[in-house]
Amino acid sequence: MNVATPHDTTANEAQADPVVVALMQRFGEHAFVEQATLIGMPVLWVAREALVEMLSFLRGMPEPFEMLFDLSANDERLRGNRQGLPDSDFTVFYQLLSVSRNRDIMLKVALAESDLEMPSIVSLYPNANWYEREVWDMFGVVFHGHPHLTRILMPPTWIGHPLRKDHSARATEFDPYTLTVEGQDKEQAALKFDPEAWGMRRGNENSEFMFLNLGPNHPSAHGAFRIVLQLEGEEIVDCVPDIGYHHRGAEKMGERQSWHSYIPYTDRVDYTGGVMNNLPYILAVEKLAGITVTDRARTIRVMMAELFRISSHLLFLGTYLQDLGAMSPVFYSFSDRQKSYEVIEAITGFRMHPAWFRIGGVAQDLPKGWDRLMQGFVDWMPKRLHEYERAMMENSIVRERTRNVAAYSTQEALEWGVTGPNLRATGCNYDLRKKRPYSGYENFDFEVPLGGNGDAFDRGQVRIEEMRQSLRIIQQCIDHMPAGDYKADHPLTTPPPRDKMLQHIETLITHFLQVSWGPVLKPNESQQMIEATKGINSYYLTSDGNTMSYRTRIRTPSFPHLQQIPAVMRGGFVPDLIAHLGSIDFVMADVDR
Amino acid sequence: MAYTLTRADDVIAADNARYPLGERQRVEDPLDQQVHRSVFTGKLEEVLHSAVNWGRKNSLWPYNFGLSCCYVEMTTAFTAPHDIARFGSEVIRASPRQADFMVIAGTCFIKMAPVIQQLYDQMLEPKWVISMGSCANSGGMYDIYSVVQGVDKFLPVDVYVPGCPPRPEAFLQGLQLLQDSIQEERRPLSWVVGDQGVYRAEMPSQREKSRAQRIQTTELRTPDSI
Repeated sequence: MNVATPHDTTANEAQADPVVVALMQRFGEHAFVEQATLIGMPVLWVAREALVEMLSFLRGMPEPFEMLFDLSANDERLRGNRQGLPDSDFTVFYQLLSVSRNRDIMLKVALAESDLEMPSIVSLYPNANWYEREVWDMFGVVFHGHPHLTRILMPPTWIGHPLRKDHSARATEFDPYTLTVEGQDKEQAALKFDPEAWGMRRGNENSEFMFLNLGPNHPSAHGAFRIVLQLEGEEIVDCVPDIGYHHRGAEKMGERQSWHSYIPYTDRVDYTGGVMNNLPYILAVEKLAGITVTDRARTIRVMMAELFRISSHLLFLGTYLQDLGAMSPVFYSFSDRQKSYEVIEAITGFRMHPAWFRIGGVAQDLPKGWDRLMQGFVDWMPKRLHEYERAMMENSIVRERTRNVAAYSTQEALEWGVTGPNLRATGCNYDLRKKRPYSGYENFDFEVPLGGNGDAFDRGQVRIEEMRQSLRIIQQCIDHMPAGDYKADHPLTTPPPRDKMLQHIETLITHFLQVSWGPVLKPNESQQMIEATKGINSYYLTSDGNTMSYRTRIRTPSFPHLQQIPAVMRGGFVPDLIAHLGSIDFVMADVDR
Repeated sequence: MAYTLTRADDVIAADNARYPLGERQRVEDPLDQQVHRSVFTGKLEEVLHSAVNWGRKNSLWPYNFGLSCCYVEMTTAFTAPHDIARFGSEVIRASPRQADFMVIAGTCFIKMAPVIQQLYDQMLEPKWVISMGSCANSGGMYDIYSVVQGVDKFLPVDVYVPGCPPRPEAFLQGLQLLQDSIQEERRPLSWVVGDQGVYRAEMPSQREKSRAQRIQTTELRTPDSI
């Protein structure tokens, strides 16, 4: 295989993977082709006909792969460097996660352009439903056996499949947008919900159902999110979430921005997470570039990411309680957010979207006096958190509204791809910072807060506790911030260290090339998962040896969280749905990307 | 001062008419016409307009509408540290029918545009639009297939607030600029009194206004210390 790998042992290590051995014993040696990548898990190309059987084997084996972590595709028609890989115009990939094994595996299926058909795996993994719809929407791959294969991100009236390489990327490549009276009526008609199309009945023997359209603009929907409820009185018989009102084409954008200039776009994916979003992307790029960053840079990254986790959880807390009808918490928690922004702004120079991490380090060293400022915030927060707990989480109304509301078990959570605090609220101890430490998390002393009931209350309580743990991590960063450079001394560090650039002609040339064209990364594939504010966020990058990514796949936690809503809410009441929506902690940019 | 005139009659539109509906024409201040009349009621009209506008601009009720990141900063402006109540705009309305102005806080998506238009149509006159952030102003950094390159492609925008996202202070400044422009408006005082056109003042560009002061800045603080 001619795919570049930094260590030749990568493929051999993967060979020894017990799961691959088990697959080989069951399906024979020729059932798959193994691809050597930097993804950090076995990547197996399998035949379309064998896919379902293999997935059910993995789903059913002892210590199974309980979660379909990601499912998407790649238009490979223009990819130059794919020696040794099976011929493919479109590749559909399935990434599975086993919590019990703490391992992953990726299966890829090659498809010819003339034959874009796949079997649906919805019966095996229920959360494949939306992912398959997304692949249909973005690439035009048909999934046979899918219960309702329609567009999910683009409007129903859209023509074309945006993530195909022959689809225009820029809005300015199309005719300028106009909205006419007639067009408005047409679009509004297309948005009308048709229960029959979803196989829903309009009534039963006793009563006629009401269909309530909540969104795309509703105060408790946290952005442009729509959910249609089928109601019998106050009870939710069924519901259909409708997304795509916030699709900013972040994945397509990755195909035209250089590795460096894409960083600001990552900030805006989970827009309450700030630099937390930079982290998985930067780490994946650094894997491709083979950069090892300095201890100082790693610690600064952890500190800023945890600060944003607190800021995001504060926003969650305020809005979650506001959705339950408590008006004042949002005023308290936003005052605290303002305090966190004062620190963030002093260090990064920006509030919400600093885009402050760089390939090979961070944008700047910490300013003089940062520790005093940060310490002030860390000292301020604990008494506030205590106050929130006393005033809000111990409030009997909040408890009545959230306890045993929208509860689900660990098993259900894994089936639906739920990660992060929402998974840990069910009692499942799975936090990537502990299970697969990245960026130096293994050096920190902190605990993973767990819930027990998996209800809306636990989801709130777990987050309050998580803020305490983040404060602990930040305190350790303040106390033990390593000295040294904030950028790695590596030719692909972008932009290169400034003092060096001003002295050294080679570095100056590199600097010029990196900011005019962008750094060039060797052809390969890499991926990084992190424990982001809302769950596991990962960037799966495919480099074709260019200044830009060939394919950027962003797996966001909120997407499966919203998909799970009907499974949780059937039989619930409308106010419970509002409590549930508040407790999920999603932002639409993190769903639609 | 120059004014932009819109008449309600123009808004009854054909199917192929494009949003924003209604003809806009550039006119002089209608009160200036007073000097040509035989009975001068100009001062009275001016006082009446001024009083009505004063009331309007100091109790602007915002529509609780948000699209993306900017909405977080807009919400921040509503909370204690920035306290929008100082400018009389704390009464957030969840229904467009009760709101006075709409802030397009975030990216305007092609899938969302018809919804935004519908909500705007449901607001009652007098109504205003603030476009908040680069995406709503022009598409910003998202020149991508799913994004409308600026909400003014179909909505009449009164104030543009730059930034990605703008700070809450910038949003508050935008609100005050809207208030300033409302003070200069000439709207019908009643459906039976006088001219029924809506006259909006063309306000001076902030960029030009502050340029002289801004270019005075020659030294920027280094980011090396807090």
